[in-house]
Amino acid sequence: MAETKMKEISLKPFERGTERLFELFDNKIVLISYIILTLVFLIYLPLNSSRFTQQIMTNFFFFVVVCLGLNIIIGFAGLLNLGYAAFIAVGAYVTGILSATYGINFWLTLPFSIVAAIIAGLALAGPTLRLRGDYLAVVTLGFGEIVRFTARNVEFTGGAVGLIGIERPVFFGIVLNQITHFYYMFFILALLAIITSYRLRASRLGRAWEYIREDEDAASAMGINVVSTRLYAFIIGSCFGALAGSFFAVKMTAISPESFTFIHSVMILLAVVLGGMGKIPGVVLGALFVTLFPELSRGIGQYRMVIFAFVLLVIMLYRPQGIWPDRQGISTKL
Amino acid sequence: MTLWDILLQQLFNGLLIGAFYGLVAVGYSMVYGVIKLLNFAHADIYMCGAFCGLILLTFFAPNIGNTWFGIVVALLISMLVVGILGVVIQRVAYQPMLKAPRLSILITALAVSMLLYNAVLLMTQGQVRAFRTGIVDESFFVGSLRMTDTRMVLLISALLLMLILHLFITRTMYGKAMRAIALDHDTCRLMGINVHKIIALTFFVGSALAAAAGIMAGVHYGTVHFFMGFLIGLKAFTAAVIGGIGIIPGAMLGGLFLGLLEAFATQIPFIGTAWKDVFSFAFLILFLIFKPHGILGRRVSERM
Amino acid sequence: MFKQKSILFLMFAVVLMMFSVFGCAPQAAPPAEEPEQVLIGIMLPTTGAVAENGIDMENAIKLAVSEINAAGGVLGREIITTTADDGCDPAMATAAASKLIAEEVVAVVGGFCSGATLPTLTIYGDAGIPLVIAAANATTLIAENPGWAFMINSTGDMQAEKAIGWFQERGVETIGLIGDGSAFSADLVAITREQWEAAGKQVVTDDTVSPGEMDFSALVTTIMAANPGGIYWTGYHAEGALITMQLREAGYEGVIIVSDGSSAPAFIELAGPHAEGVYCTAPPFADFLPAAQSFIADYQAMFDRAPGAYAGLSYDAMHLLADAITRAGSFDGAAIRDALAATDGFEGISGEVMFTEENTLGRSNFVLLVAQGGSWVLAQ
Repeated sequence: MAETKMKEISLKPFERGTERLFELFDNKIVLISYIILTLVFLIYLPLNSSRFTQQIMTNFFFFVVVCLGLNIIIGFAGLLNLGYAAFIAVGAYVTGILSATYGINFWLTLPFSIVAAIIAGLALAGPTLRLRGDYLAVVTLGFGEIVRFTARNVEFTGGAVGLIGIERPVFFGIVLNQITHFYYMFFILALLAIITSYRLRASRLGRAWEYIREDEDAASAMGINVVSTRLYAFIIGSCFGALAGSFFAVKMTAISPESFTFIHSVMILLAVVLGGMGKIPGVVLGALFVTLFPELSRGIGQYRMVIFAFVLLVIMLYRPQGIWPDRQGISTKL
Repeated sequence: MTLWDILLQQLFNGLLIGAFYGLVAVGYSMVYGVIKLLNFAHADIYMCGAFCGLILLTFFAPNIGNTWFGIVVALLISMLVVGILGVVIQRVAYQPMLKAPRLSILITALAVSMLLYNAVLLMTQGQVRAFRTGIVDESFFVGSLRMTDTRMVLLISALLLMLILHLFITRTMYGKAMRAIALDHDTCRLMGINVHKIIALTFFVGSALAAAAGIMAGVHYGTVHFFMGFLIGLKAFTAAVIGGIGIIPGAMLGGLFLGLLEAFATQIPFIGTAWKDVFSFAFLILFLIFKPHGILGRRVSERM
Repeated sequence: MFKQKSILFLMFAVVLMMFSVFGCAPQAAPPAEEPEQVLIGIMLPTTGAVAENGIDMENAIKLAVSEINAAGGVLGREIITTTADDGCDPAMATAAASKLIAEEVVAVVGGFCSGATLPTLTIYGDAGIPLVIAAANATTLIAENPGWAFMINSTGDMQAEKAIGWFQERGVETIGLIGDGSAFSADLVAITREQWEAAGKQVVTDDTVSPGEMDFSALVTTIMAANPGGIYWTGYHAEGALITMQLREAGYEGVIIVSDGSSAPAFIELAGPHAEGVYCTAPPFADFLPAAQSFIADYQAMFDRAPGAYAGLSYDAMHLLADAITRAGSFDGAAIRDALAATDGFEGISGEVMFTEENTLGRSNFVLLVAQGGSWVLAQ
């Protein structure tokens, strides 16, 4: 077809090169040593880098958790969600309110955060799962805005000014208030998120998601309850977000509705699609890009966002399936 | 003011803003119809139209003046220019993505949107610009309904544009082709329709209409700025979905409906202006649950 | 053979990426600091929806810096600045603050969005970096301030007082409040309501609009129906101008006061003829001090545009900081902080600066302006 010939150029050599890369990693020793190397590097990082670097890496780890959460919804289960920030907000506000207003110990707020996430996931997904994909996009967007406006208008959540005075958590007697503490907290969260994602993908639920994504009718015919399986995706995805949100709240000690806008949801979505939907290392890479780019390009000044948008556009045009390469060399077919 | 007066005034308010929503919503619907894309950049096209009009009126004021004649000229030229911009964007950014995963093209649209409004941000240094026209606006009252000349003209123009579009879609071959493509690309190609060209035309028309809405907004409100597309984009997008995405009369209806809904919602005691937007979204969600294909949508069995 | 090469290549690529990330970051843009220079940080939203204000404030600060340097610098050293964008987002602001600290600035000037500035207070406090906040003034900042931040924009209390004083002088019995949902605006609305009701009067409408909204017809209709004697708009000039125009066109004849967020000359330009007679609670600015006249002219000459609402305060903030450093006699953070706290009799173009124990402005700077003949003039 005439129109698709335009951009087929760059994929073949790239695919071949990365195929080799993957063959490389098939060797267990290589893979494990690489992982260990990275882990060691990340663990020792805070010891000789600046606050700024730690701050960025902490943001990156936070982003990894939320991107993996969204990845479960859109990458694994194939559902659209344009209002993911709402789940993060739920977790953040639950922790914030319980901690600042009621003085509850941070660690105790986490279960509440999860419960709230489940409720939010149910509330959003329950009535809307039968909708077609694009309608779902609009509904999730609307949900995100509803949550934000509610947080802004209601006194209980601090109104537009938000919540302040959220207590820093205490861990075996140490008050966690240094950036290094948060670096490790989020690092562990990110690791947990990555491991959980892999386990989920390999589990029956994960396979069910993949099945539904590929062919809904066949999956249904095989006895998979499509609606409840998708519901699980929403709920688990929202739990990731809420947990991340809770930790976010104590890191910032003050939260306001401005941190959970549509733009934030878009950035998370961007990271997931950019990295490669459904591919866990790809999502991590996408998170890295979205977190790092604004920071590294601070030197460019005002042109920063224009360049970011431009780079994004170019990447999408040449690698629509995301940066991370496909394993089996599947082409760009949906 | 009695309750009736208030409601009547809100009816008119709602109609006018609904007309704007409708003009922008139509673009969303048309584009979705032919290539199944939710074009996030559309709202920024609206903004570009407004700025185009501003530039024309500012720099060519001596030639065309800035009363109604000048505005109409600026409008037509803007529609042309921005229409072409829309086609360029489609060719460069969306065309290559037609066979890509759905989400990827969505991200592309987002990227284009970011590019557009950040570029304008840079050019205007973020400042809000005044959209000065030479029109002297006289208020007059029809009963207790307060109106101005400008509002009447804008409302009528918007409705007129929508009518023209409707005729275009239903009476011309191009319109028929657009509707056909919305149903099945490949069959159209087999039938000899130049799908390529029709898609470009769709983008042209949609963008031109958005540009028209942008300039009308500039004239009506008197200000333009780089982020003006965002809010109306969300609303128009919601309107298009309410009316049934992909269905053009639906978008117009959805726009008017949403405008009226918002205007009346502010009168409901607990809602007021603070919750107006929440109300719209909540309504949208409920609506989609009970009537998933929008007002004019048909129950077509769909695959994800 | 191939496998070994690939392994090496891979390791190299990974290591390179890691180092590019970490090696680059702290050195991303700090200007090379020579012994005769001192680095001051600027934290403002230079991108995003409120970029206009951030850029405007940054310009004013740079103007002040050029003046200070022309007069010999501070303690014999030339000032160089580095700007970190906080994007009016709390998370981005914390990154911006960390970056400035990593670049080893001596002090920071800035802070426009209260919500974004809030989490940075503890960061600067922990690092021992004084912060002069030029514009952000929500009362929440006071509570969270560990003592290293100084707010030179009067807080909401004083501003509300000014507005209410004027309403009462004009014999207004009922008022309507309009905010834009931002932290500062909501704060001001709450304080005004509290004070007004404490005076035994009624607030008949209380509305919140969305920033970026252009159509306020529904709001206008509601207000016309309730017909308050006065309206207080607590947000920024873009929406303020639109609301004013639409209210006046609807025939609203009550007293309209706008807050300092709308005190930019752009407000009048946007609202056109409808701006006439609108009042504004603002920091004293522009035509009221001889020094200010030259400020406006210099700003115009240097940046080819008129200064915005917070340009004057930002200009003052920078001069105040330079003054404090001079008084402290050193570039030590604690010394500068103490000097700032002890400020007495510093005359900025926005008025005299003096701090309370909470590091807020000692006396209300607010004056009442009225739009007349196309510009803001003193009303009383």
